[in-house]
Amino acid sequence: MLKYILIPLLPLLSFIINILFGRNFIKDKAHWIAVPAVAGSFILAVSAFMDVQAGNVINVNIYNWIVSGNFNVTIGFLIDQLTAIMLIVVTSISTLIFIYSIGYMHGDGGYYRFFSYLSLFVFSMLMLVMANNFLLLYFGWEAVGLCSYFLIGFWFHKKSAADAGKKAFIVNRFGDFGFGLGVILVYLTFGSLDYLKIFSNTGIVLGQTINIFGNDIDLITLICLMLFCGAIGKSAQIPLHVWLPDAMEGPTPVSALIHAATMVTAGVFMVARCNPLFSLSHTAMNTVAVVGGVTAIFAATIALVQNDIKRVIAYSTVSQLGYMFLALGVGAYSAGIFHLYTHAYFKALLFLGSGSVIHALHNEQNMQNMGGLKKYMPITYGVFILATLSITGIPPFAGFFSKDEILWRAYSGGELGKFLWLLATVAALLTAFYSWRLIFLTFHGRFRGTHEQEHHLHESPRVITVPLMLLAIGAVAAGWVGIPPLLMEHGDKIGEFLAPVLGHPHGEGSHAEEMMVMGMSILVAAAGWFIAYQMYVKKTDLPMKVGAMFQPLYKLLYNKYYVDELYSRIFVQPVLKLSDKVILGFFDAKIIEGVVNGVPNLIGAFSNKFRKIQTGLLSNYGLVMAIGALAIIGYIIFMR
Amino acid sequence: MSTPQVLFAYFAVAMTILSLLVVTRRNPVHSVLWMLVLFIHIAALYLFLNAEFIAAIQIIIYAGAILVLFLFVIMLLNLRKEETEKRFQKQWLYSIAISVLFVFFLVLIVGNITVIPPPGPYTADVIKSEGHIMTVGKVLYSEFLLPFEIASLILLVAIIGAVVLAKKRIE
Amino acid sequence: MNTANYLVDITMIMPELTLICVALILLLLDLVVKNKEVLAAVGIAGTLVALYGTYKLFVFHAPQSVFADMFVLDGYSNFFKLIFYLNIILTILISLKYMTIEKASFGEYYSLLIFATTGMMIMASAADLIVLYLGLELMALSTYILAGLMRKQLRSNEAALKYFFLGAFSSAILLYGISMTYGLTGTTNLREIAAALQTLNIMESPAVFLGLIFLIVAFGFKVALAPFHMWAPDVYEGAPTSITAFMSVGPKAAGFAVMGRVLFEAFGGMQMQWNSILIPLAVITMAVGSIIALAQTNIKRMLAYSSIAHAGYMLLGIIAGTPEGLASTANYLMIYMFMNIGAFAIVIMLRREGFQGENLDDYMGLAKSHPLASALMLIFMFSLTGIPPTAGFIGKFYVFMEVIRSGYTYLAIIAVIFSVISAFFYLRVVMYMYMKDPKEDVTLTTSSTLSIALAITAIMVLILGIFPSFLLNLVRSSIPG
Repeated sequence: MLKYILIPLLPLLSFIINILFGRNFIKDKAHWIAVPAVAGSFILAVSAFMDVQAGNVINVNIYNWIVSGNFNVTIGFLIDQLTAIMLIVVTSISTLIFIYSIGYMHGDGGYYRFFSYLSLFVFSMLMLVMANNFLLLYFGWEAVGLCSYFLIGFWFHKKSAADAGKKAFIVNRFGDFGFGLGVILVYLTFGSLDYLKIFSNTGIVLGQTINIFGNDIDLITLICLMLFCGAIGKSAQIPLHVWLPDAMEGPTPVSALIHAATMVTAGVFMVARCNPLFSLSHTAMNTVAVVGGVTAIFAATIALVQNDIKRVIAYSTVSQLGYMFLALGVGAYSAGIFHLYTHAYFKALLFLGSGSVIHALHNEQNMQNMGGLKKYMPITYGVFILATLSITGIPPFAGFFSKDEILWRAYSGGELGKFLWLLATVAALLTAFYSWRLIFLTFHGRFRGTHEQEHHLHESPRVITVPLMLLAIGAVAAGWVGIPPLLMEHGDKIGEFLAPVLGHPHGEGSHAEEMMVMGMSILVAAAGWFIAYQMYVKKTDLPMKVGAMFQPLYKLLYNKYYVDELYSRIFVQPVLKLSDKVILGFFDAKIIEGVVNGVPNLIGAFSNKFRKIQTGLLSNYGLVMAIGALAIIGYIIFMR
Repeated sequence: MSTPQVLFAYFAVAMTILSLLVVTRRNPVHSVLWMLVLFIHIAALYLFLNAEFIAAIQIIIYAGAILVLFLFVIMLLNLRKEETEKRFQKQWLYSIAISVLFVFFLVLIVGNITVIPPPGPYTADVIKSEGHIMTVGKVLYSEFLLPFEIASLILLVAIIGAVVLAKKRIE
Repeated sequence: MNTANYLVDITMIMPELTLICVALILLLLDLVVKNKEVLAAVGIAGTLVALYGTYKLFVFHAPQSVFADMFVLDGYSNFFKLIFYLNIILTILISLKYMTIEKASFGEYYSLLIFATTGMMIMASAADLIVLYLGLELMALSTYILAGLMRKQLRSNEAALKYFFLGAFSSAILLYGISMTYGLTGTTNLREIAAALQTLNIMESPAVFLGLIFLIVAFGFKVALAPFHMWAPDVYEGAPTSITAFMSVGPKAAGFAVMGRVLFEAFGGMQMQWNSILIPLAVITMAVGSIIALAQTNIKRMLAYSSIAHAGYMLLGIIAGTPEGLASTANYLMIYMFMNIGAFAIVIMLRREGFQGENLDDYMGLAKSHPLASALMLIFMFSLTGIPPTAGFIGKFYVFMEVIRSGYTYLAIIAVIFSVISAFFYLRVVMYMYMKDPKEDVTLTTSSTLSIALAITAIMVLILGIFPSFLLNLVRSSIPG
């Protein structure tokens, strides 16, 4: 029992100790507390995983939070197969990232602060995945958002970082709002927030509708869509994807943590967790699948032309998350979680690897100023290659198995599935292209940076490279637990492991078709490599020509489809104007003053004497009160 | 219309006009003097309700004591500047509109009241037999003892407030 | 009515009498004692004695009404009195040093605080419209004076005057409502009003409704419901900060106490009617409070709008129309008291000689120089936002659940929307503290009493958030179904 509580508790303790004593006592020794804490969590998570594997699903109520009358909320942990896998992913990646941060953040003024926030981040994510009810899930959900806000804006004196933090926070509020409503709807519908109570009782929602503005809407669809709103925000799907690429303004370990293990996977996890609800609504499932598929290809196209190394990887995350939602949407929940799991390793590796590059180049992030790094940074180069092979889906690397599983499930998932499969395959081609483009621009060719940078080029210290190498093992081998039965009898261990929670995906298709899907996926991966090789190694003037040939398209992609500008125009500016001018002015008596004083003598100049307290706004306030009272009276006379 | 009705109509209309005069006069002394006339009219209205004692009190306390105090204060202050300044900050148009609308609503609502609440224990006959002061005194010191005492507290607080705000020395 | 009865009756108002005596003693002590801390200590001690008295009455006596049914003692009034006691104790604790800095440390200050609290307690216990009105005036008059205590500051004068004039306006409206109700039912006693409404069968009468509207408008003024909130930002900003803290809780709680009692006891049968007014008021109030707070740069003003928004949430419990709903409002007020006074205590800490410390900019980088104070402010801001596991979440959750239980799901959804919006301005303070570089060095004014107040409020906010059952059971048993 204690063992399971300790899993989230250790990072929490690390947070408390560091935030309380970091400033004056611990200072640059903060990692001595944080790293053992999170490593301890990892060991306990492995042990919990073994317990689950042995067949012990743990569902315990730890604490009766609110017990009063007809109003009960208990808090507890549910550690089943799904949670066990998430625990492994979160704690293992976090441990490596923590170790990496020792080197990366060395000498930063807020060293202790960084580790305390990071610990809190991990704690929140662990609470999120271990919850056995929606309330605790919601708590973790909000806490993760808040920590990300602090961490993305960690270098707050950098304006872009502070803005990115704010953007992540605000964009997430949109999603969270829907999610909060979803949780309330769940409580109203089922009278409970406990997962197992709800999931064993899903029958009662069938056929229920809720009337919104005169339209009858299927209740379960509404619930699922509301919950999915939250997932769209947290997991950066269209149309709320805008915050994630900016989130790389934070320190690189934070980007890695957000992109690989915590935060963005929360949405995928949540949808998988709620699969008994989602499975009841076709509309919701199709929405999830289409949003995922479209995001996958949309983000991949943007990644094609970006020059910032972290931005390319960021868009690749958005795209890969799209894959996961696609899988969830076609009912292949375990495939989605499988991809989440492999993706965590190679994405963390890509981010930390890019961090290593950036570190070596003294915060240069533009790939056009890199090149030829492979002879200076052989280890980084090596792990990068492995990660890229994995993400592009070359067998037998991890990414191949999970991506292939998703492609096959999509293909075998009916009419809509075929369309989604096509989307995903094209996205795979694009993925291969931009991933190799990144490699070629960064590590091949001649160095294009300044002389001074070249002079200082060096491989990163061991505290950075060791985590990279460990992650590389994951990026290579993580997929071997999910080998399709076609290639190996009982190879799909992870699918079978998750089946008690996530069920078996339905789908039909012959072996030949499965081979075809697999072949296509390898083929597009190779094609992507080939095109990138041609353009960036063989004929290096080609990219310029292509860019010039498709100038408008290039601009569109380079500016990320102008989504940010669009949002700014549609939402941000009007809201600012509204709250600044209209509402503030109106209710803060400025406009009232203006109207009242202005209308009787239309041209009359405003005079300063209105500022005096005796003749100032006081009577205006009284007037508003009188109008208010009168409006109520009028309302009851005429409206009733 | 019977005579009481005519008289009531006179007093009601007169009170309205007098109130308007009180708030619209530029010279505060004039305002206070109009208020004196207003108070006398109010006292007359109490007579309609068979409340001779209250009517007398109204004249003695309000017209006699409070108004004189008002006059003292006005004489002590220099209000020349206020007299020359414009009043109502031009929102009188709105105020009048609201008042008119409000009266309209009141007429609409109160105009068709049909309920007559049950009479209380202190009918005109009871008061006549017991005497005014006796009745008021009895009620005030038995049934309404608590409110009566709270009212005294309010007066105490008012005195404290006046002292704190006006007299207290601050460096 | 015989005299022997009154002796029994007097024991029932012992706590109020104690407070009045303490207030009078303070006035006299002020003449001989130069050290104002002694006065504060006497004030707190007297309040504790009164608190003990209320506790004794609660233990030994079943709910009853005394003084010709004008004054009731029941769980409802006792719970609100507990809020008032804690409110005044915390206010005295945070004001000691502050009033010295503002050069307004008078003995009358504590005396007036106690008088105001007495007024609130009378309101909470009032079972008659006359007593209710007089209690309200006692409270209001004292707070007007308190708001204007910093005589040398123009904005304090302005605050007092505005509060006074608008308060008089609302009192007039209240009296109008009372007289209309009296004219129609022939009584001012709440229970008899309910009976008269039944027997005369005038529940549907628009005239009764008109009286009710006037009452609601007047109470709405006291608790700062939009559009009767106009006074709040100016008065909150201008008044001494400790009084702002006092005012944002006390009169609001008292206003809700009488609103709940009048609506439930006298107009219990007209729930449909009063809800048709309260629902739009609640929505407007939440909207006005949360949206305008976004644009504030002065923290006292921001907290004023936040206080308006919270009034909207609290109103939801009354709209629910059940004893449970009423309990949720009372519970919310108790929690609101802790978090709000806590937040104001931090605001007070920033005030020092020659430095107002009321701008949001003054909070920039506070976490760097004063980590503990910032952490406390963070707790209060989280709680005001309603983020678990702070008490503010419990308050909101309970109210929302009750309003949903009564079938007003859409109101809960609207309330959730506005509390999401409110997160922006509360967390902006946190953002300023933690994620900005300090513009200038801020020195905090600390004192032992202020630290005690901060400790109490912060611990209560956390404890009530993590172990809410105690308070929930208390409020539920105080206001039985």
